[in-house]
Amino acid sequence: MNDERLESLAKRLGSEAAARLDVAATARKVVERLREQPVRRIAWVQQTWLRIAAALVIVLGGTVAVRQSLVRSGATHGAHLVADDLSDLSTDELRDVLTTFDELISSDSVAVPEGSTDLHELDAQQLRAVLRSLEG
Amino acid sequence: MAQPHMVPAAHDTALIAAWRAGDEQAAAELVGRHARPLARFLASAGAPDADVDDLVQETFIRAFRSVDRFRGQCQFRTWLLTIGGNVLKDFGRRASRRKVMPLDDGVRDATGDPHQHAEASEAEALLAAGLKQLPRLQREVFLLRAQQGLEYEEIATALATTPGAARVHYHHAVRRLKEIVEP
Repeated sequence: MNDERLESLAKRLGSEAAARLDVAATARKVVERLREQPVRRIAWVQQTWLRIAAALVIVLGGTVAVRQSLVRSGATHGAHLVADDLSDLSTDELRDVLTTFDELISSDSVAVPEGSTDLHELDAQQLRAVLRSLEG
Repeated sequence: MAQPHMVPAAHDTALIAAWRAGDEQAAAELVGRHARPLARFLASAGAPDADVDDLVQETFIRAFRSVDRFRGQCQFRTWLLTIGGNVLKDFGRRASRRKVMPLDDGVRDATGDPHQHAEASEAEALLAAGLKQLPRLQREVFLLRAQQGLEYEEIATALATTPGAARVHYHHAVRRLKEIVEP
């Protein structure tokens, strides 16, 4: 069989199915279906907005999570951050800071100046020494 | 290869633009211009006779709904035929999931119109059976070239391949089909 014969056969394939097709009825049904389900653009737009909304939720959620994580991390390293700027703090401010570290101060590792039992009796230099000892 | 009767592409372009603007009559006219070649393509590619009408409709629905993606990279009919190929593939997948396989030619002929059965030549039946055995790409390239009379460049654009690759697919398909039709 040569190529021309094969192509000729191929051209005849499906011709009965095509001849049986009621083209006018098909066109009518297609138009009706398009009219009944005019979701082409609406669905696309809805999907797009849903994707954008989902992306925003992820970004905002991630931002909140990161911020919370940073805040928590900041609390953990509070002593270190405070200790960096100890020189700028007044005696009263140092006392305020120390109030937040009451629990830590009660530990044995803190170097409280000899003879002192109450932090309020300490002067600024002694308080700085206490805070720096917390730094580890 | 004899050139097929192709509808003027410019007219299609105008109809597509009209449909985009909401003209339903333009959609109906596009169906009228391309439904039969599409039905021939689908039936040749393995669509059961009873489902050709539904598959033609589904192809047009998909095409009209995604017409914004058609940018005139190929003729509208070529683009439509490739969508038809996808619709047929999805149909086959659904049918296999339901375990309802399309009837083969032998069974269909036994219950079909005796007159039509008499008209169908043995060579055509063999060719139809052979086409079902080809890989999808080879089958579509063969039909687009041999049945629809498209150039390799056009086929390549529609199927996102190169003209050289389309030519190779076509020749593989022809060789395989000749083996089947002339055992």
